[in-house]
Amino acid sequence: MNISLNWLASYIDLDGLDTQEMADMLTFAGIEVEGIIERGIKSDLVVVAKVMEKSPVEGSDHLNICQVDAGEGSLRQVVCGASNYQVGDLVPCALPGAILPGGWEIKEGKLRGVASNGMLCSASELGMPDAEHGLWILDEDKNIGATVRDFVACDTLFELEITPNRPDLLSHWGMARELAAITGRSLKASPAEALVHQAQTVSADEDAIKLSAPELCPFYTATRISGVKVAPSPEWLADRLVAIGLRPINNIVDITNYCLFELGHPLHAFDAAQVTGGLELRQAADGESFSSLMEKDYILSDGELLISDASGKALALAGIMGGLDSGVSETTTDIILEAAWFERSNIRYSSRRLALSSDSSYRFERGTSPWNVLPAAARAIDLITAIAGGTAEPIQVAGQAPCLVDESNAATATVLEQGSDAKIYYALDQVLLQWAELDRMTNGSIPHLEAAAILRRLGLKEADRQGRWDCPPWRLDLKRSCDLLEEIVRVYGLENIPSIYSSVYVEESAQDRTHDFCMAIARKLAGAGFWEIQTFKLIAANSIDPTIANLKYSFPFKPLMAGDAIHVSLPISEDHSALRPSLAPGLLSVAVRNLNQGVESIRLFEIGRIFRNTGGGKGKDIEQEALGILMAGKKSPSSWAQLKPQDASFADLKAVIESLFPNALITMTPSKPRAYIAIGADVQINGQPCGYFGRLALDACRKLGLPLDASYAGLDMRKLQQVATAPFKVAELPQFPGSSRDASIELPMSTKHSDVVKAIVAAKQKLLVSYSLKDVFCDASGERIAADRKAMTYTFLYRDAKKTLTAKEADEAHQLVLDVLGKKLKDMQLR
Amino acid sequence: MKEQIASVQEAAMQQISSILNMKSLEDARVSILGKKGSLTQLQQGMRTVSKEDKPAIGALLNEARAIMTAALDMRRDQIQLELDEQAVADIDITLPGATLPMGGLHPITIVKEEAVRVLRRMGFSLSDGPEIEDEWHCFDALNTPADHPARNEKDTFYFDSGKLLRTQTSTVQARTMEKQSPPIRIICPGSAFRRDAIDATHLSAFNQIEGLYVAKDVSVGELKGTLEYFLKALFGTETSVRFRPHFFPFTEPSFEIDVLLQAAGQQPRWIEIAGCGMVNPAVFENIDQARGTDIYAGCTGFAFGIGLERLAMIRWGIRDIRLLIENDQRFLAQFQ
Repeated sequence: MNISLNWLASYIDLDGLDTQEMADMLTFAGIEVEGIIERGIKSDLVVVAKVMEKSPVEGSDHLNICQVDAGEGSLRQVVCGASNYQVGDLVPCALPGAILPGGWEIKEGKLRGVASNGMLCSASELGMPDAEHGLWILDEDKNIGATVRDFVACDTLFELEITPNRPDLLSHWGMARELAAITGRSLKASPAEALVHQAQTVSADEDAIKLSAPELCPFYTATRISGVKVAPSPEWLADRLVAIGLRPINNIVDITNYCLFELGHPLHAFDAAQVTGGLELRQAADGESFSSLMEKDYILSDGELLISDASGKALALAGIMGGLDSGVSETTTDIILEAAWFERSNIRYSSRRLALSSDSSYRFERGTSPWNVLPAAARAIDLITAIAGGTAEPIQVAGQAPCLVDESNAATATVLEQGSDAKIYYALDQVLLQWAELDRMTNGSIPHLEAAAILRRLGLKEADRQGRWDCPPWRLDLKRSCDLLEEIVRVYGLENIPSIYSSVYVEESAQDRTHDFCMAIARKLAGAGFWEIQTFKLIAANSIDPTIANLKYSFPFKPLMAGDAIHVSLPISEDHSALRPSLAPGLLSVAVRNLNQGVESIRLFEIGRIFRNTGGGKGKDIEQEALGILMAGKKSPSSWAQLKPQDASFADLKAVIESLFPNALITMTPSKPRAYIAIGADVQINGQPCGYFGRLALDACRKLGLPLDASYAGLDMRKLQQVATAPFKVAELPQFPGSSRDASIELPMSTKHSDVVKAIVAAKQKLLVSYSLKDVFCDASGERIAADRKAMTYTFLYRDAKKTLTAKEADEAHQLVLDVLGKKLKDMQLR
Repeated sequence: MKEQIASVQEAAMQQISSILNMKSLEDARVSILGKKGSLTQLQQGMRTVSKEDKPAIGALLNEARAIMTAALDMRRDQIQLELDEQAVADIDITLPGATLPMGGLHPITIVKEEAVRVLRRMGFSLSDGPEIEDEWHCFDALNTPADHPARNEKDTFYFDSGKLLRTQTSTVQARTMEKQSPPIRIICPGSAFRRDAIDATHLSAFNQIEGLYVAKDVSVGELKGTLEYFLKALFGTETSVRFRPHFFPFTEPSFEIDVLLQAAGQQPRWIEIAGCGMVNPAVFENIDQARGTDIYAGCTGFAFGIGLERLAMIRWGIRDIRLLIENDQRFLAQFQ
């Protein structure tokens, strides 16, 4: 919200208060200062000049050469691009050397080759609000050569961010009240208080005002003012609105706006000629249409509150915006002034639903005080009759100010009274301040006397000697002891409360251990030459752009069934609509993005959460921590030392997983075919299912623009942690040498290494301590080995823990293993 | 015989001194000391030497063999040295290194780990909670009224089930207080989601670290002291920290925290870095009510939250937040 200091100074003495000092005070009272705009002209080199001649610059469609009289005895040539002035007009001219807002210095120069010795200025170029587009045309009474600074009012505009709990600060009077409490300066007379005491109120009967939706609007006032003269606002009023960024319209509308920004309560004026009979506050019919004064049409639902007349015509969308035909125009002579209280959550709902907000709805949805209704009405009536003339009837009051006090307090609450014939009652919140809580919270650093003084400055009054305080009617946010403590701490200043540091013993949590494990894995992979990436957890349900993470390239631990992927109801874009069930889509999209940048070696990993439903959308939504690794393209970047590095294969990715858990047994069990996967396997570590491993389908690689040998592994971090952190004891080192034997066996192409391993395990040879695959040989030409067969060479290590093995014992043990292999492996031959 | 020995020795020494490579060295060794070598042949002449001259001539022969062996060995070492020097003489040590695949951690992981390390040193342990949350843990428990602006489909991602993606890691406050009993001293790094359009300063998913301390008589002074400790550990001991009153529904009083940052050649600037406050008593009441206990009666506490993207952007001068999710290797490679 914008606050003009000139305007603010009408309510509080700001003399001697430096702008920056004031900004700091507001900041440390919880009111964020987003910007400070200084209005007015500092330089005395901006003078009044009269345009004497004007001729177009050759070759330009908008520049003119002007000869101006700036009171220097001779004419000054200035090139100007504006179009809203004529010869004879008085305009501000910045002479060379003048420094304009923003530190911009005016120099003699050339424009399109034409000498320009100064600049004719618009209002905004001089830090003033623009009344029209183009040059600032000055009043004719100004003297040529006079310094513009001398007749321009300086002002400072504060752009403030008001937190949602403080709607009472959304006006100049409210801000003055707060500033008085913070600074201790005294507040001048309220612009409305005396008027409220004189205000004439009468009860409205149902024919005049009918409250058909009392839960949304329990309290409505309307005042008829007859014989007004609609005209432009007087200069002081227009200036104030322009200063805070509003456009003056006419005196009636301007006064309602002025009262909103002065007192914080929104008002509305209807043209009485457009109102048939009385007013009714009713919910819209479902599908009812409404045209706003901004000439936009809306289709309403029954949640929206309307002000209509006896004919049923919708005059205004309550608290949000007036209707197209019901507003005040130049021909208006009689008006009906509305001052009312609307229930805030309904205003918020309607404003959101219709995507329509206004200064009025902004305040209503944050919560207005019913106590402020009559002062706003009285102030507006006074200003209207003073400025636009006319006669005001008594204020018609329908309903009653709602009691916003806790029910438990209502019986004993202090009640304020407003109005004459029709009385308006307003109950005050009463809060029991717990002094012991204040001492505890601040370590006794705030003296009670000072705390009480702060509360009084904020408008609270001690209701009794037991620590009960009456809260001021404008502070709807003060309800509990902690609300008062906050006020005391805020105004006292946190910098005055000493810092303390202490700690307590807290045992290590399971999440601590998980975090450490994740970091260890991440560091190992980074050390092994993989980049960690972090991608969006919301991915595209369907996209043809390969740089967008796509749900179809998910390779979760278990295949997804229909409905297992979790979609948000209202995505911001189709590219981010489903929660990722796998890290593969993100990794693939990043791989494509990097390949497009010329990266030749894709080595990426991500550790993060994945999501799925366990039962096609009807089961539980589960979240798991996962590790995804993607390898594609060259094993390492090429260099002078290695011109053509090998392409990475699935075995390289498997080696990476093995290097993470060097002591674990990692097995891959070929799994059922999956979409976009050429060959896939379930991964077991020490027999525990831990994830999924696959080489991407070549067609998918081609479509994505990936190298054809892309491999992906998705692993379950929780399972990995169990395996990696299982307790173990160190094995003793062998005392006696072992003896190794090689065996080369010929097998059909379809027999797998895992089949051989199964056969070796089945041999149950006690002396066999380890074995490893040394070579796989095939020959597609069929010359050295039949094309449909392969030779696999294994090394077996035999050892007896208690003695040195003789050659004969080793040979015998080896033969027994070979015998089992021969039996278990179909069509095997020793080579 | 003496003269013969002297002449063989002289000839051999001359031959050795002119040897240039290992092959001629081995040839020379054979031709001098080998079975048919010149010295060996002289030795065979010992038979003709008189008995009384034998010791002296024998000594002379042995001496000559020792001298020639030493000369051959020395020459061999010289040649080897020359060969070794030649072997490396043409190596250009200024050549670039052969390439290994490079890798590294994501900047968000780096700042997260740094913050977590400091906070754990301060006696906080990690906690956790789901990212798919219910309204109760995300809003109601945290004292956010039903008509709060965040609670609608324009600002928050909802699912058809009525659940939502948590809008803040503060949900973990509620989750942890539900399960544990005071004293509680936890942190939770994690993702949060808001329906913001993505631009240079906004992501619809971002990372935060949440902190919560609940015990008897936790004071505002401790909130200040703890966060000053934390931020000094992150930004340097000399860092100035200030607290500005603010508003959050789940804390009261609430503050935003600024640190004074000084970039080279620039005026020091206050940068907003975190939010914090004393846990609102309503939050304790909500949790107790849900648990059917009153273990939080008489408890006070503080909570804080810090955005990790912001931390990374400030630390490394990252101008566009999208760089953090694009994972361009040219960007990632800068964090070693």
